[in-house]
Amino acid sequence: MQTTLTAIAVITVGYIFAYLIFDRLRDRYGYVGGAEYVVIGFLLGPRVTGLLDAGQVQDLTPIVSLALGWLGMLLGTYFRLPTMALIDGDHLRIAFAEAVATFTIALAALLAIFRYLVGAPWPEAAVLSVTLAAVATLSSPVAVDALVDRFRSRSRVPPVLQLAARIDALVAVAAFGLVLAIFHQGDVAPGVRPPTATEWSVINLAVGIASGVLFHLFLGPRGHLDEGRLFVALAGAIVVASGASYYLNLSPIFTTLILGFILVNSGSAHRDVTRLLLSTERPVYLALLLFAGAAWSPGSVDLLFIAPLFVLIRVVARFLGGRIAGGYVAPPELRAPGLGRGLLALGGLGVALALNYGQVYPDLHPRLVLTATLLSVLLFEIVASGEASAFLMSLGPRAPERVGEVTDLTPVAGNR
Amino acid sequence: MIRRLVVLALLVGGALLLEPLRVPTEGVIAPRSLFLFGILLLTADTFGALAHDLGFPRLVGYLVAGLGLGPSVLDIVPPGVLQDLSMMKQLAVGLIALLAGAELRINDLVTRYRAILWILALQTAVVLLGLTVLTLILRPWVPFLAGLEVASLLFVAFLFAATLTVNSPMVTLGLLTETGADGPLAKTTLGVVLVADVVVILIFTVAFSLAQASLGGATAGALDTLFRLLREVVGSILAGCLVGGVLTLYLRFVRRELVLFAVVLVFATAAAAQALHFELLLSLLVAGFLVENVAPVRAEPLVDVLHVMAVPVFVVFFAMAGADLRLQAFMALWPVILAVALTRAGLIYAGTRAGARLGEAEPVVTRYAWTGLVSQAGVALGLATVVADRLPRLGLAMHTVIVGIIAFNESVGPILFRYGLDRAGEIRVR
Repeated sequence: MQTTLTAIAVITVGYIFAYLIFDRLRDRYGYVGGAEYVVIGFLLGPRVTGLLDAGQVQDLTPIVSLALGWLGMLLGTYFRLPTMALIDGDHLRIAFAEAVATFTIALAALLAIFRYLVGAPWPEAAVLSVTLAAVATLSSPVAVDALVDRFRSRSRVPPVLQLAARIDALVAVAAFGLVLAIFHQGDVAPGVRPPTATEWSVINLAVGIASGVLFHLFLGPRGHLDEGRLFVALAGAIVVASGASYYLNLSPIFTTLILGFILVNSGSAHRDVTRLLLSTERPVYLALLLFAGAAWSPGSVDLLFIAPLFVLIRVVARFLGGRIAGGYVAPPELRAPGLGRGLLALGGLGVALALNYGQVYPDLHPRLVLTATLLSVLLFEIVASGEASAFLMSLGPRAPERVGEVTDLTPVAGNR
Repeated sequence: MIRRLVVLALLVGGALLLEPLRVPTEGVIAPRSLFLFGILLLTADTFGALAHDLGFPRLVGYLVAGLGLGPSVLDIVPPGVLQDLSMMKQLAVGLIALLAGAELRINDLVTRYRAILWILALQTAVVLLGLTVLTLILRPWVPFLAGLEVASLLFVAFLFAATLTVNSPMVTLGLLTETGADGPLAKTTLGVVLVADVVVILIFTVAFSLAQASLGGATAGALDTLFRLLREVVGSILAGCLVGGVLTLYLRFVRRELVLFAVVLVFATAAAAQALHFELLLSLLVAGFLVENVAPVRAEPLVDVLHVMAVPVFVVFFAMAGADLRLQAFMALWPVILAVALTRAGLIYAGTRAGARLGEAEPVVTRYAWTGLVSQAGVALGLATVVADRLPRLGLAMHTVIVGIIAFNESVGPILFRYGLDRAGEIRVR
């Protein structure tokens, strides 16, 4: 009894302490993260108080998978075709160049480390490198939108920044989904021919498309469901789609990205769906951080060597990717070589990818991936706001503030 | 509606197609549990809408969906999956308890305490006595009474009656949330059901100890058992005070991310309840009550959040409760089950009317309060499981009969209560 009460006391004090520290950071530096939730998760978990033992952490898997699917679906809703069609071609070119360059640089560096420094076999090195390169490529659309809204720059670059954050996420999730299909884990039932890598990729895509079409039919016309029932229907859709992917050892985030993309482009209820997903994004993100904290058991090698190296690689890839896209691909009027500085915030998708990786590859260094990701989330969420602010200020004077103006800086953000 | 049913059928078909692509694995959470949980959610929501269109409470639709997909009928959601997802049910119970506590206003209790106490006392006494006598009368047809001596017979019948005295706070709260009902009937019924939850558990404890002692299982331990269960109740109330304190501090100083905080609080309390042996439902009920009525903070933000979460939470709870029902238990002994269930409803009617009259309740309470006391669900199932686990000689047979009666009460109770609320003119949301 005393142990449990001590655990509760440790957690309460730990939470309040973490909250006060990060609240100061929030006030002083505009920090928008939720690192206190990693702390409380870690305190609740088996490594500290054991109030949540390893089995109970595993029991939370359905909630985690729901959260993974939730974030994937939200990402899918960003890509509404009628608004995407209005985006300037130069913006798209810069955003894709930035995402692909960042991913490629991070992938090359990570492959070199895992293959030649650590000595891992090629398939292992590829899976680890692609996963971590995907995490490195991610940047938080929410954090970027918040800053762009706050700064109201006259420059034409901020909409590119917002688009780049979304394309980063798209490239990262697609690469991660692909690597899970190509290096597929798990056996099929006896008597069934194991699908090839290409077939698994098609199955992954097909599950997403089938889910999208079925739930388009299931949700029906706009106004048909009240908020509570829409929540249940969406939660059900996400659980089914994520559950199918989880069952097949594929990526629920990729599947629900397709689901979200289809729902937002096919139904008249797309505004309700997007609004509901956005309103629940922060609790879902924080729940993931909490779970990640509880599941986190860092090894000393990960903490001292690989994770700091990953942080360094992400910074370099981000800056070089930004320089290539903003300095060389962009036309003169959109030139911004420091683009990468505005995209440092990592956000919830990174944690989601790391947790998803741990579900599929429990024997392939999941602790390392989670440690590197959490360290990045904690560090970048502290510095990202300042760096992005400096970048936006470098673009020129702010627009005058107009009372009651609707923020709609890019066609993509206009989805909201 | 037909479109949604077709989609559900296609989803189930898709599940069958995907099945060979993975060898079933044994894990803490089997991967397919999640997928089937999603299908259960969507089916429950669809059947809830169907029930609503037919004029029944949505809860009945959720239960029917769970029953249909569960082990009793189609076995699409097998027992192992329900076991895997028990944490979701625990979360639902905890959140509903918190909401139930916060819905209890001290002013309502003070103004209605006479009616609540009289209804509770007479309803409990009449049902206990009546069902004990009925069980003795039905002895030749009741399988678990065969071959018992007189003393054992009496105490086992008393235990059986005590288990059937339990109401369902979950159904009451679920229906009040669904219908937005507010008025004398809604407030009195909620008060009776929540106070009864504590009283009936104490009566069950006494009955269980007596039955166990009479069967020669643990004569010396009977008082110990009583003491231990009393300690659990007191411990639950103290734990509730502690959780209420934490909630108050959070609402006073932090007041952010209330959805997440409520979820974490429930899981943390559940873990502590398991370690320290107290009741999750009772402790969170007390916590919610204290925050709403005693704490120097505004509880509205928390209550609003809990109301928003109520719909999905009820879908999860009742769909899983439906899947837990065993139709076979009902089919095997349906004459006994029907006789006991109908007599129970009659006894509740008589006891409640008499109690309401003595408590000088409003006429609408006197007429319809009984409709809210027929339902049985999670608490009753929990007590039935205690009987099955700890009285091996006859517990399993008694469990079968009780589960059959609960299935009946769980299906009919919400319909009756909605009817009562409707007749009382207290339904706000149609």
